[in-house]
Amino acid sequence: MFIFRLFTKIKKYLATFSRISRFTLLLTATVLGIQFGILPAFTQEPITIKTLIRADEVPQFQPLVKQFTQQNPGINLEIVEAPNDSNQVEDLYTSSFLLGNSPYDLVYMDIVWTSKFAAAGWLRDVSARFSKAEASNFLAGDVQGGMYQDKLYRIPFRSDAGMLYYRQDLLKQEGYEPPETFSELIQISQDLQQKGLAEWGYVWQGKQYEGLAAMFVEILQGNGAFWVDADTLEVGLEQPEAIEAVKFLRTTIEKRIAPPGVTTYAEEESRLLFENGKVVFLRNWPYVYSSALTSSVAGKFGIKPMVHGIGQESAACQGGWGLGISTSSKHPDAVWKMIEFLSSENSQREFILETGFVPSRKSLFNDPEIVAKYDYYPKLLSVVEGSTLRPPISQYAQASDILQRYLSAALTDEMSPEGAMKAAAAETRRLLKNN
Amino acid sequence: MTINKQEKITGWLLLFPALLILASVFIYPIARAFWLSWFAENLGTQLEPVFTGLTNYQRMLGDGRFWQSLFNTSIFTLISVVIELLLGLVIALVLNKSFFGRGIVRTIAIIPWALPTAVMGLAWAWVFNDQYGIVNDILQRLGFIDTGISWLGTPTLAMAALIVADVWKTTPFISIILLARLQSISQDLYEAHTIDGASPWQSFQQITLPLLMPQILIALLFRFAQSFGVFDLVQVMTGGGPAGSTETVSIYIYSTVMRYLDFGYGAALVVVTFLLLVLAVAITFWLLDRVRSYT
Repeated sequence: MFIFRLFTKIKKYLATFSRISRFTLLLTATVLGIQFGILPAFTQEPITIKTLIRADEVPQFQPLVKQFTQQNPGINLEIVEAPNDSNQVEDLYTSSFLLGNSPYDLVYMDIVWTSKFAAAGWLRDVSARFSKAEASNFLAGDVQGGMYQDKLYRIPFRSDAGMLYYRQDLLKQEGYEPPETFSELIQISQDLQQKGLAEWGYVWQGKQYEGLAAMFVEILQGNGAFWVDADTLEVGLEQPEAIEAVKFLRTTIEKRIAPPGVTTYAEEESRLLFENGKVVFLRNWPYVYSSALTSSVAGKFGIKPMVHGIGQESAACQGGWGLGISTSSKHPDAVWKMIEFLSSENSQREFILETGFVPSRKSLFNDPEIVAKYDYYPKLLSVVEGSTLRPPISQYAQASDILQRYLSAALTDEMSPEGAMKAAAAETRRLLKNN
Repeated sequence: MTINKQEKITGWLLLFPALLILASVFIYPIARAFWLSWFAENLGTQLEPVFTGLTNYQRMLGDGRFWQSLFNTSIFTLISVVIELLLGLVIALVLNKSFFGRGIVRTIAIIPWALPTAVMGLAWAWVFNDQYGIVNDILQRLGFIDTGISWLGTPTLAMAALIVADVWKTTPFISIILLARLQSISQDLYEAHTIDGASPWQSFQQITLPLLMPQILIALLFRFAQSFGVFDLVQVMTGGGPAGSTETVSIYIYSTVMRYLDFGYGAALVVVTFLLLVLAVAITFWLLDRVRSYT
């Protein structure tokens, strides 16, 4: 009714014009319509590229996206919000690729997805777009984590690596230097626990999940052992050094250095214990640093690379997120422009200052602006540089599950360390041979 | 009354759209899984199907992880459904009596059922946390234990914790179904029975239980099928750990298909699980039928 009345009103209003001016009005409207509505659509159609990002990270990307669209008016980035759980983001990407014709052009991906996504043919090879000189500006582990069978599929955006947090105040009080080796860590923990200075000595991630594999890679490597050699497909899980690594973790439980529930902890549970001042040592990712600064242990803790075996080097598990181009994308060049922009030094600096994540460009760790805000970043570089990849094989998810199950069995005393690692190695070999 | 042919055809025509939807939602997927289970389709074959005959089923025979998950699922289903049924029956009987504030109690009793499982799973994971969990806190205060028990870190205790959480959530479902039937049983029956000299226990055995039987079996059927496919609760509370001791079949299938991209083998897992479930449902229906003809 309302619309009908409006129409009659407009009609009446137009009737007050003369026939000629009515014609001019129509002509102007048509010309304007062609000029601004139809012509641009033919000449420079704006390209829309789509990506899927965890909802909690989307606001952090907004300022960068705004800058990019200002510099490149022809390209729009549409961000679809995903759940705040990396596994679910992986599932959503996976199902969109499986169904064919994925709507996503830009793939914002965790480092452990690379091999699987590349092997399935869902990512474009970007080796030709990324020069060796450019690659040398990034952390080596991050670039390596984007490779599958000697081709590059993922450009690093933000890095991540496991490290050791320790209570500086307690160590100083008792005259200890931060530990370098596994046995030093055990000894200091026991001493401080006996003196009643802390309830627990060392807390890590022992739940059966991906974080368990990530944590174990550091202990393995720190003992001079390895999981799977991606080139020769050799499995090293039942070697004596690897069994030593399992025994170290078991010792922390048996000697009550770690709480019995450590076999159910993921990152958050262990972080809470440390931040409540109940623990001397914690193995975790860099995000804990900024979070601990607002907790009861603020100003009382330090970070260092992971402890290791005698005569060995420390290892940090390489994590992090990067950017790839999906095979189904119709605008690979536009997506590449976006990737170049996001991974550039300026963008990363802005992003890091805003979020406190770890950059993938080496120069930023000593960047004056960043150091002014986060004084621990130069130290972080030494942690991140020694980082180790989880095996870059296409069946990684399955290999990781095998390790997680048997390691969890050994940690909860269901199996002996030897038996568990032997079974894990055998099953992993069968997996690698089958596919 | 006889239905002529014309009417029969109209009947089928009217049924056709519904049947079509059922076929595309239920029959097509399972038929496709049957088909796919004869092929290898994984990262090794570049996600292209390659005919391999019975290889997938052969592999399943030697797959300890599958048998363990099947065992875990059966244990979880059997224990939780039995406890839920007993508790649900007791609650339904109590709620059937009139007492002050019955309306409010009935509403409160249904709340766990209305909560999203994932949210409730997270809450239960904290309830059973070894350091901050309320269960350990209560046990410690009562002096039963000195240090916290790692509930979710010990295989049998983790399974027990899952069952407790599941019972808490789904008992209301059973009590509501049983309560609905209880309310429609005429009081006259009980009165007549009492006049005949029956005790309350005899009334329960001879009137309530037989009349409730069909509802009990329907509730069992629903719960059995749901419980056998449990996913969200386990995923949130234990992720299948520790050492795979709480991994259920649906979690294993999900990993095989979505994470390992092993579609052929995943399809074989689906087929075997489906057949087992059909077998169980068939047995239940057979029982249902016998009870019906009995009453």
